[in-house]
Amino acid sequence: MADAPTPVMFAIVTTNANTVHGGMAPVFVADSEEERDRVAMWLSRITNAIVHDLHNGTLVLTVNQATQA
Amino acid sequence: MHSTGPINWTPMIVGFVAGFISRVLALRSGRSHFPGFPSGYISQIALGVIAAMVGSSITVSLAGKEFTAATFLTLAATQFRDVRNTERKTLEAEEQLILVGRGAGYIEGIAVTYEARNYLAMLVALVVSAATQFFGLWVGIGVGVASILVGERFMSGPRIGDVCEVEPAPVRFEKGSLLYAGDVMMMEVGLKGSRERYLQHGLAVVLTPKNPRGQAALWNVAQRQAIAHEAAAAVGTQKDVGYPEQTPLCRMEMPNATGRAGLTIIPVHRDVNRLIRAIKNTPVLESSKWARMPMTNPISSSGMGGEESSSGTASKPSPSAPTVRSAHVPSQEV
Repeated sequence: MADAPTPVMFAIVTTNANTVHGGMAPVFVADSEEERDRVAMWLSRITNAIVHDLHNGTLVLTVNQATQA
Repeated sequence: MHSTGPINWTPMIVGFVAGFISRVLALRSGRSHFPGFPSGYISQIALGVIAAMVGSSITVSLAGKEFTAATFLTLAATQFRDVRNTERKTLEAEEQLILVGRGAGYIEGIAVTYEARNYLAMLVALVVSAATQFFGLWVGIGVGVASILVGERFMSGPRIGDVCEVEPAPVRFEKGSLLYAGDVMMMEVGLKGSRERYLQHGLAVVLTPKNPRGQAALWNVAQRQAIAHEAAAAVGTQKDVGYPEQTPLCRMEMPNATGRAGLTIIPVHRDVNRLIRAIKNTPVLESSKWARMPMTNPISSSGMGGEESSSGTASKPSPSAPTVRSAHVPSQEV
Protein backbone atom coordinates (compact mmCIF):
# COMPACT_ATOMS: atom_id res chain seq x y z
CA MET A 1 0.00 0.00 0.00
CA ALA A 2 2.83 2.33 0.82
CA ASP A 3 4.24 1.99 -2.65
CA ALA A 4 3.11 4.30 -5.39
CA PRO A 5 0.84 2.28 -7.67
CA THR A 6 1.93 1.57 -11.20
CA PRO A 7 0.13 4.04 -13.41
CA VAL A 8 -1.35 3.33 -16.79
CA MET A 9 -0.34 5.68 -19.53
CA PHE A 10 -3.65 6.82 -20.81
CA ALA A 11 -2.89 9.27 -23.62
CA ILE A 12 -0.06 11.25 -25.15
CA VAL A 13 -0.52 14.79 -26.39
CA THR A 14 2.32 16.27 -28.40
CA THR A 15 3.31 19.05 -30.72
CA ASN A 16 6.32 17.03 -31.82
CA ALA A 17 5.02 13.78 -33.27
CA ASN A 18 8.52 12.61 -34.21
CA THR A 19 9.37 12.00 -30.59
CA VAL A 20 6.50 9.59 -29.95
CA HIS A 21 6.14 6.02 -31.16
CA GLY A 22 4.34 2.96 -29.95
CA GLY A 23 0.77 1.84 -29.64
CA MET A 24 -0.11 1.60 -25.99
CA ALA A 25 -1.83 4.94 -25.67
CA PRO A 26 -3.49 7.13 -28.28
CA VAL A 27 -1.33 10.00 -29.49
CA PHE A 28 -3.00 13.35 -30.00
CA VAL A 29 -0.95 15.62 -32.20
CA ALA A 30 -1.52 19.32 -31.68
CA ASP A 31 -0.41 22.22 -33.84
CA SER A 32 0.55 24.61 -31.09
CA GLU A 33 1.37 24.57 -27.42
CA GLU A 34 -1.95 26.24 -26.58
CA GLU A 35 -3.85 23.59 -28.49
CA ARG A 36 -1.79 20.88 -26.81
CA ASP A 37 -2.48 22.27 -23.35
CA ARG A 38 -6.15 22.61 -24.13
CA VAL A 39 -6.46 19.02 -25.33
CA ALA A 40 -4.48 17.74 -22.37
CA MET A 41 -6.65 19.69 -19.96
CA TRP A 42 -9.84 18.34 -21.46
CA LEU A 43 -8.59 14.79 -21.44
CA SER A 44 -7.42 15.19 -17.89
CA ARG A 45 -10.76 16.46 -16.66
CA ILE A 46 -12.66 13.78 -18.56
CA THR A 47 -10.57 10.86 -17.40
CA ASN A 48 -9.30 11.97 -14.01
CA ALA A 49 -5.79 11.61 -15.39
CA ILE A 50 -2.69 13.47 -14.25
CA VAL A 51 -0.77 15.47 -16.84
CA HIS A 52 3.00 15.26 -16.91
CA ASP A 53 5.18 17.51 -19.01
CA LEU A 54 8.17 15.79 -20.57
CA HIS A 55 9.50 19.19 -21.71
CA ASN A 56 10.14 18.05 -25.25
CA GLY A 57 6.80 19.15 -26.59
CA THR A 58 5.03 16.07 -25.23
CA LEU A 59 2.51 15.78 -22.43
CA VAL A 60 1.75 12.38 -20.96
CA LEU A 61 -1.53 11.57 -19.22
CA THR A 62 -1.44 8.81 -16.67
CA VAL A 63 -4.27 7.19 -14.79
CA ASN A 64 -3.79 5.29 -11.62
CA GLN A 65 -5.19 1.78 -11.90
CA ALA A 66 -6.53 1.73 -8.38
CA THR A 67 -8.79 4.71 -8.88
CA GLN A 68 -10.32 3.34 -12.05
CA ALA A 69 -12.19 0.62 -10.22
CA MET B 1 -31.01 -17.20 48.34
CA HIS B 2 -29.25 -15.57 51.19
CA SER B 3 -30.32 -12.04 51.61
CA THR B 4 -27.69 -9.38 51.91
CA GLY B 5 -27.92 -6.33 54.06
CA PRO B 6 -29.15 -3.02 52.76
CA ILE B 7 -27.26 -2.16 49.61
CA ASN B 8 -24.76 0.64 49.91
CA TRP B 9 -25.41 2.64 46.77
CA THR B 10 -22.78 5.31 47.32
CA PRO B 11 -19.79 3.51 45.73
CA MET B 12 -21.84 2.63 42.71
CA ILE B 13 -23.08 6.16 42.20
CA VAL B 14 -19.68 7.77 42.68
CA GLY B 15 -18.01 5.22 40.43
CA PHE B 16 -20.66 5.58 37.78
CA VAL B 17 -20.39 9.35 37.74
CA ALA B 18 -16.60 9.25 37.53
CA GLY B 19 -16.59 6.70 34.70
CA PHE B 20 -19.25 8.56 32.79
CA ILE B 21 -17.43 11.88 33.12
CA SER B 22 -14.22 10.31 31.89
CA ARG B 23 -16.06 9.04 28.82
CA VAL B 24 -17.89 12.28 28.09
CA LEU B 25 -14.73 14.37 28.44
CA ALA B 26 -13.17 12.32 25.66
CA LEU B 27 -16.09 13.00 23.33
CA ARG B 28 -14.79 16.26 21.96
CA SER B 29 -15.12 15.94 18.26
CA GLY B 30 -12.46 18.44 17.26
CA ARG B 31 -9.72 15.93 17.01
CA SER B 32 -10.96 13.67 14.29
CA HIS B 33 -14.18 15.36 13.14
CA PHE B 34 -15.94 12.32 14.43
CA PRO B 35 -18.56 11.96 15.81
CA GLY B 36 -20.01 14.99 14.20
CA PHE B 37 -23.71 14.49 14.66
CA PRO B 38 -26.06 14.00 17.58
CA SER B 39 -26.74 10.42 16.58
CA GLY B 40 -23.04 9.67 16.88
CA TYR B 41 -22.91 11.23 20.32
CA ILE B 42 -25.96 9.35 21.48
CA SER B 43 -24.53 5.96 20.65
CA GLN B 44 -21.22 6.87 22.25
CA ILE B 45 -22.90 8.22 25.38
CA ALA B 46 -25.07 5.13 25.63
CA LEU B 47 -21.99 2.94 25.45
CA GLY B 48 -20.31 5.17 28.01
CA VAL B 49 -23.25 4.77 30.36
CA ILE B 50 -23.13 1.01 30.03
CA ALA B 51 -19.37 0.93 30.52
CA ALA B 52 -19.51 3.10 33.63
CA MET B 53 -22.41 1.04 34.93
CA VAL B 54 -20.57 -2.25 34.47
CA GLY B 55 -17.41 -0.92 36.08
CA SER B 56 -19.14 0.59 39.07
CA SER B 57 -21.46 -2.29 39.85
CA ILE B 58 -18.75 -4.94 40.00
CA THR B 59 -17.42 -3.77 43.36
CA VAL B 60 -20.87 -3.46 44.82
CA SER B 61 -21.97 -6.89 43.68
CA LEU B 62 -18.75 -8.45 44.95
CA ALA B 63 -19.19 -6.69 48.28
CA GLY B 64 -22.75 -8.03 48.40
CA LYS B 65 -21.35 -11.54 47.69
CA GLU B 66 -23.35 -11.69 44.46
CA PHE B 67 -20.73 -13.58 42.49
CA THR B 68 -23.13 -14.52 39.74
CA ALA B 69 -23.88 -10.89 39.11
CA ALA B 70 -20.18 -10.06 39.04
CA THR B 71 -19.51 -12.81 36.52
CA PHE B 72 -22.27 -11.58 34.28
CA LEU B 73 -20.85 -8.10 34.44
CA THR B 74 -17.47 -9.30 33.17
CA LEU B 75 -19.37 -10.94 30.34
CA ALA B 76 -21.01 -7.64 29.54
CA ALA B 77 -17.57 -6.05 29.38
CA THR B 78 -16.58 -8.28 26.48
CA GLN B 79 -19.36 -6.75 24.38
CA PHE B 80 -17.23 -3.65 24.01
CA ARG B 81 -14.89 -5.42 21.66
CA ASP B 82 -17.34 -4.64 18.87
CA VAL B 83 -16.95 -0.90 19.31
CA ARG B 84 -13.70 -0.88 17.42
CA ASN B 85 -15.19 -2.75 14.45
CA THR B 86 -18.20 -0.47 14.34
CA GLU B 87 -16.11 2.67 14.32
CA ARG B 88 -13.76 1.28 11.72
CA LYS B 89 -16.61 0.30 9.42
CA THR B 90 -18.25 3.70 9.67
CA LEU B 91 -15.04 5.53 8.92
CA GLU B 92 -14.06 3.20 6.09
CA ALA B 93 -17.42 3.71 4.44
CA GLU B 94 -16.95 7.44 4.75
CA GLU B 95 -13.47 7.18 3.27
CA GLN B 96 -14.92 6.50 -0.17
CA LEU B 97 -16.97 9.65 0.02
CA ILE B 98 -14.42 12.26 1.05
CA LEU B 99 -11.90 13.84 -1.28
CA VAL B 100 -8.96 13.74 1.07
CA GLY B 101 -9.10 10.47 2.93
CA ARG B 102 -8.02 9.91 6.49
CA GLY B 103 -5.94 6.91 5.52
CA ALA B 104 -6.12 3.43 6.99
CA GLY B 105 -3.67 4.25 9.76
CA TYR B 106 -5.67 7.18 11.05
CA ILE B 107 -8.92 5.21 10.92
CA GLU B 108 -7.39 2.39 12.90
CA GLY B 109 -6.09 4.88 15.43
CA ILE B 110 -9.49 6.47 15.90
CA ALA B 111 -11.20 3.09 16.19
CA VAL B 112 -8.73 1.84 18.77
CA THR B 113 -9.10 5.06 20.73
CA TYR B 114 -12.86 4.71 20.85
CA GLU B 115 -12.61 1.16 22.07
CA ALA B 116 -10.02 2.05 24.65
CA ARG B 117 -12.02 5.00 25.95
CA ASN B 118 -14.90 2.72 26.88
CA TYR B 119 -12.55 0.42 28.74
CA LEU B 120 -11.04 3.44 30.41
CA ALA B 121 -14.47 4.57 31.57
CA MET B 122 -15.05 1.09 32.94
CA LEU B 123 -11.71 1.05 34.70
CA VAL B 124 -12.21 4.47 36.23
CA ALA B 125 -15.65 3.45 37.46
CA LEU B 126 -14.23 0.26 38.96
CA VAL B 127 -11.34 1.96 40.75
CA VAL B 128 -13.46 4.81 42.06
CA SER B 129 -16.29 2.59 43.31
CA ALA B 130 -13.76 0.33 45.02
CA ALA B 131 -12.13 3.34 46.67
CA THR B 132 -15.51 4.60 47.82
CA GLN B 133 -16.47 1.18 49.10
CA PHE B 134 -13.39 0.75 51.25
CA PHE B 135 -12.31 4.29 52.15
CA GLY B 136 -15.50 6.31 52.16
CA LEU B 137 -17.18 8.93 50.04
CA TRP B 138 -14.59 11.70 50.14
CA VAL B 139 -11.63 9.48 49.34
CA GLY B 140 -13.73 8.05 46.52
CA ILE B 141 -14.42 11.48 45.07
CA GLY B 142 -10.74 12.39 45.37
CA VAL B 143 -9.70 9.19 43.62
CA GLY B 144 -12.35 9.90 40.99
CA VAL B 145 -10.98 13.33 40.16
CA ALA B 146 -7.43 12.01 40.16
CA SER B 147 -8.19 9.05 37.92
CA ILE B 148 -10.11 11.20 35.45
CA LEU B 149 -7.17 13.57 35.21
CA VAL B 150 -4.68 10.70 34.89
CA GLY B 151 -6.88 9.07 32.25
CA GLU B 152 -7.09 12.26 30.22
CA ARG B 153 -3.36 12.76 30.42
CA PHE B 154 -2.65 9.17 29.57
CA MET B 155 -5.07 8.90 26.68
CA SER B 156 -4.04 11.98 24.74
CA GLY B 157 -0.97 10.98 22.80
CA PRO B 158 1.60 13.32 21.28
CA ARG B 159 0.70 15.70 18.49
CA ILE B 160 2.65 16.53 15.38
CA GLY B 161 3.37 19.93 16.93
CA ASP B 162 5.19 18.18 19.78
CA VAL B 163 7.58 16.34 17.51
CA CYS B 164 7.83 18.57 14.44
CA GLU B 165 8.42 22.19 13.61
CA VAL B 166 5.84 23.48 11.11
CA GLU B 167 6.75 26.59 9.13
CA PRO B 168 5.22 28.37 6.16
CA ALA B 169 7.12 28.01 2.91
CA PRO B 170 6.80 29.56 -0.53
CA VAL B 171 5.04 27.71 -3.33
CA ARG B 172 7.23 27.73 -6.41
CA PHE B 173 7.94 25.81 -9.57
CA GLU B 174 11.28 24.61 -10.86
CA LYS B 175 12.23 23.41 -14.32
CA GLY B 176 8.92 24.69 -15.55
CA SER B 177 6.62 22.18 -13.94
CA LEU B 178 8.02 20.76 -10.68
CA LEU B 179 6.01 21.95 -7.71
CA TYR B 180 8.07 22.81 -4.63
CA ALA B 181 7.07 23.59 -1.08
CA GLY B 182 10.12 25.57 0.00
CA ASP B 183 12.97 23.16 -0.76
CA VAL B 184 10.81 20.07 -0.85
CA MET B 185 9.76 18.78 -4.22
CA MET B 186 6.16 17.69 -4.26
CA MET B 187 5.11 16.59 -7.72
CA GLU B 188 5.05 17.42 -11.38
CA VAL B 189 2.20 19.60 -12.56
CA GLY B 190 1.88 19.44 -16.32
CA LEU B 191 -1.04 21.78 -16.84
CA LYS B 192 -0.31 25.48 -17.04
CA GLY B 193 -3.69 26.40 -15.57
CA SER B 194 -3.09 24.26 -12.51
CA ARG B 195 0.37 25.75 -12.05
CA GLU B 196 -1.07 29.24 -12.07
CA ARG B 197 -3.70 28.16 -9.60
CA TYR B 198 -1.02 26.84 -7.28
CA LEU B 199 0.99 30.06 -7.55
CA GLN B 200 -2.05 32.25 -6.95
CA HIS B 201 -4.00 30.35 -4.31
CA GLY B 202 -1.66 27.67 -3.04
CA LEU B 203 -0.21 27.42 0.44
CA ALA B 204 2.80 25.41 1.48
CA VAL B 205 4.42 24.46 4.76
CA VAL B 206 7.56 22.55 5.59
CA LEU B 207 7.62 20.12 8.51
CA THR B 208 10.98 19.70 10.19
CA PRO B 209 11.26 16.92 12.77
CA LYS B 210 12.49 17.98 16.19
CA ASN B 211 13.64 14.51 17.20
CA PRO B 212 13.87 10.93 15.91
CA ARG B 213 10.30 10.35 17.03
CA GLY B 214 9.12 13.13 14.77
CA GLN B 215 11.20 11.81 11.95
CA ALA B 216 9.75 8.33 12.32
CA ALA B 217 6.29 9.87 12.27
CA LEU B 218 6.94 11.80 9.08
CA TRP B 219 8.36 8.81 7.26
CA ASN B 220 5.10 7.01 7.85
CA VAL B 221 2.83 7.27 4.85
CA ALA B 222 -0.33 6.95 6.90
CA GLN B 223 0.84 9.74 9.16
CA ARG B 224 1.33 12.08 6.23
CA GLN B 225 -2.07 11.15 4.86
CA ALA B 226 -3.56 12.02 8.24
CA ILE B 227 -1.74 15.36 8.16
CA ALA B 228 -3.07 16.08 4.67
CA HIS B 229 -6.57 15.16 5.82
CA GLU B 230 -6.39 17.44 8.83
CA ALA B 231 -4.98 20.25 6.70
CA ALA B 232 -7.79 19.92 4.17
CA ALA B 233 -10.37 19.69 6.92
CA ALA B 234 -9.09 22.91 8.48
CA VAL B 235 -8.69 25.23 5.50
CA GLY B 236 -10.65 23.38 2.85
CA THR B 237 -9.32 22.35 -0.51
CA GLN B 238 -10.17 23.55 -3.98
CA LYS B 239 -10.61 20.15 -5.47
CA ASP B 240 -13.19 17.90 -6.93
CA VAL B 241 -13.32 14.54 -8.59
CA GLY B 242 -11.40 14.92 -11.83
CA TYR B 243 -8.79 17.31 -10.45
CA PRO B 244 -6.17 14.91 -9.17
CA GLU B 245 -3.30 17.42 -9.35
CA GLN B 246 -5.02 19.71 -6.87
CA THR B 247 -5.00 17.12 -4.12
CA PRO B 248 -3.31 18.31 -0.94
CA LEU B 249 -0.04 16.47 -0.70
CA CYS B 250 2.40 15.75 2.08
CA ARG B 251 5.70 14.42 0.81
CA MET B 252 9.19 13.89 2.11
CA GLU B 253 12.09 15.89 0.73
CA MET B 254 13.00 13.06 -1.46
CA PRO B 255 16.15 12.47 -3.33
CA ASN B 256 18.08 13.92 -0.38
CA ALA B 257 16.08 12.18 2.37
CA THR B 258 16.73 14.91 4.93
CA GLY B 259 13.73 13.79 6.94
CA ARG B 260 11.81 16.97 6.29
CA ALA B 261 8.39 16.93 4.71
CA GLY B 262 6.53 19.48 2.65
CA LEU B 263 2.82 20.01 2.28
CA THR B 264 1.04 21.86 -0.49
CA ILE B 265 -2.63 22.63 -0.59
CA ILE B 266 -4.92 24.94 -2.56
CA PRO B 267 -7.11 26.11 0.30
CA VAL B 268 -10.57 27.56 0.22
CA HIS B 269 -9.85 29.63 3.29
CA ARG B 270 -6.39 31.07 2.73
CA ASP B 271 -5.09 31.23 6.28
CA VAL B 272 -1.63 29.83 6.83
CA ASN B 273 -1.82 30.11 10.61
CA ARG B 274 -4.95 28.03 10.71
CA LEU B 275 -3.29 25.49 8.46
CA ILE B 276 -0.24 25.29 10.71
CA ARG B 277 -2.40 24.98 13.81
CA ALA B 278 -4.34 22.11 12.27
CA ILE B 279 -1.17 20.29 11.27
CA LYS B 280 0.36 20.75 14.72
CA ASN B 281 -2.82 19.35 16.23
CA THR B 282 -2.74 16.17 14.16
CA PRO B 283 -2.20 13.23 16.50
CA VAL B 284 0.93 11.16 16.03
CA LEU B 285 -0.38 7.84 14.81
CA GLU B 286 0.26 4.67 16.67
CA SER B 287 1.27 2.93 13.48
CA SER B 288 4.04 5.45 12.89
CA LYS B 289 5.82 4.19 15.96
CA TRP B 290 7.14 1.11 14.32
CA ALA B 291 8.16 2.80 11.08
CA ARG B 292 11.78 3.02 12.12
CA MET B 293 13.29 1.78 8.91
CA PRO B 294 14.81 4.86 7.30
CA MET B 295 15.59 6.86 10.41
CA THR B 296 18.77 5.01 11.32
CA ASN B 297 20.68 7.53 9.26
CA PRO B 298 18.60 10.64 9.71
CA ILE B 299 20.23 13.65 8.17
CA SER B 300 22.94 12.34 5.85
CA SER B 301 21.78 11.78 2.33
CA SER B 302 23.50 8.41 1.98
CA GLY B 303 20.45 6.30 2.89
CA MET B 304 17.48 6.45 0.58
CA GLY B 305 18.92 9.40 -1.28
CA GLY B 306 21.96 7.52 -2.55
CA GLU B 307 19.85 4.70 -3.80
CA GLU B 308 17.48 7.11 -5.45
CA SER B 309 20.15 9.07 -7.30
CA SER B 310 22.01 5.95 -8.40
CA SER B 311 18.86 4.52 -9.93
CA GLY B 312 18.30 7.94 -11.43
CA THR B 313 21.69 8.04 -13.12
CA ALA B 314 21.26 4.52 -14.42
CA SER B 315 18.45 5.70 -16.61
CA LYS B 316 19.21 8.82 -18.58
CA PRO B 317 17.29 11.80 -17.15
CA SER B 318 18.13 11.89 -13.46
CA PRO B 319 15.54 14.45 -12.33
CA SER B 320 12.67 12.63 -13.93
CA ALA B 321 12.98 9.49 -11.85
CA PRO B 322 11.77 10.97 -8.54
CA THR B 323 9.46 13.30 -10.38
CA VAL B 324 7.43 10.60 -12.01
CA ARG B 325 7.25 8.57 -8.85
CA SER B 326 6.00 11.36 -6.63
CA ALA B 327 3.64 12.65 -9.24
CA HIS B 328 1.69 9.44 -9.42
CA VAL B 329 0.70 9.32 -5.84
CA PRO B 330 -2.03 11.98 -5.82
CA SER B 331 -4.43 9.85 -7.78
CA GLN B 332 -4.05 7.22 -5.11
CA GLU B 333 -5.61 9.64 -2.68
CA VAL B 334 -8.46 10.86 -4.81
